[in-house]
Amino acid sequence: MEKPLDKCLDEISHSAGVSGVLCADSQGLCLGVRGKASASSSGTIAALAERAAMLEPGSQDPLILLEGDNSQCLVHHNNSITLAVYKSPETS
Amino acid sequence: MADEMKKHLTDLMNSTDDVLGIVITDRDGVPIMKVASEETPDLALRPTFISTFSMATDQAGKLGMGKNKKMICMYGNYQVVHFNLLPLVVTVIASSHANTGLVMSLDKDIAPVVSQLAQVVDIASMS
Repeated sequence: MEKPLDKCLDEISHSAGVSGVLCADSQGLCLGVRGKASASSSGTIAALAERAAMLEPGSQDPLILLEGDNSQCLVHHNNSITLAVYKSPETS
Repeated sequence: MADEMKKHLTDLMNSTDDVLGIVITDRDGVPIMKVASEETPDLALRPTFISTFSMATDQAGKLGMGKNKKMICMYGNYQVVHFNLLPLVVTVIASSHANTGLVMSLDKDIAPVVSQLAQVVDIASMS
């Protein structure tokens, strides 16, 4: 049942510059994780996407970019699924 | 010190949306520390309800997947997340639409309080 999701996560995690991927549902439960992403951060990521969407009610779900010294994290929420992509700086 | 611990638990409860209460009990469900909002159902705070987790976690540990660490119970209006931090048990009561992942990650923040309380409980049980 989860094979298409696993395949999708594998494809993303093997893309250039990507160091990790995490997929969470609307309840903040981890649906899949690859690379350096941690399953325990699924709740935080889902909550972050939900809160960010509240900034502009009625508009499309935002794409959130978290930038740190060593990596970037892109978070996007769509159809009750939240996807976070971790990118490392040298290749991004 | 108890006041500080209680304040810490209250802050944790308020920092997570839709969390209604946090209870730290011993394995028999006897409350050691409790913070709860008015909307918390009384039944979820009763020792009879909380003590069933001790039995369930013991049985779940026999499934061959290692020690049971957490248990999530989803109900129509509420969700209850139990953390197995024996000799103590932490029970978080939240509304059914709370972010379950966020509630599950509360254990990292509660663990320091529990480890301090566990020392006290250990000393009390030995004397």
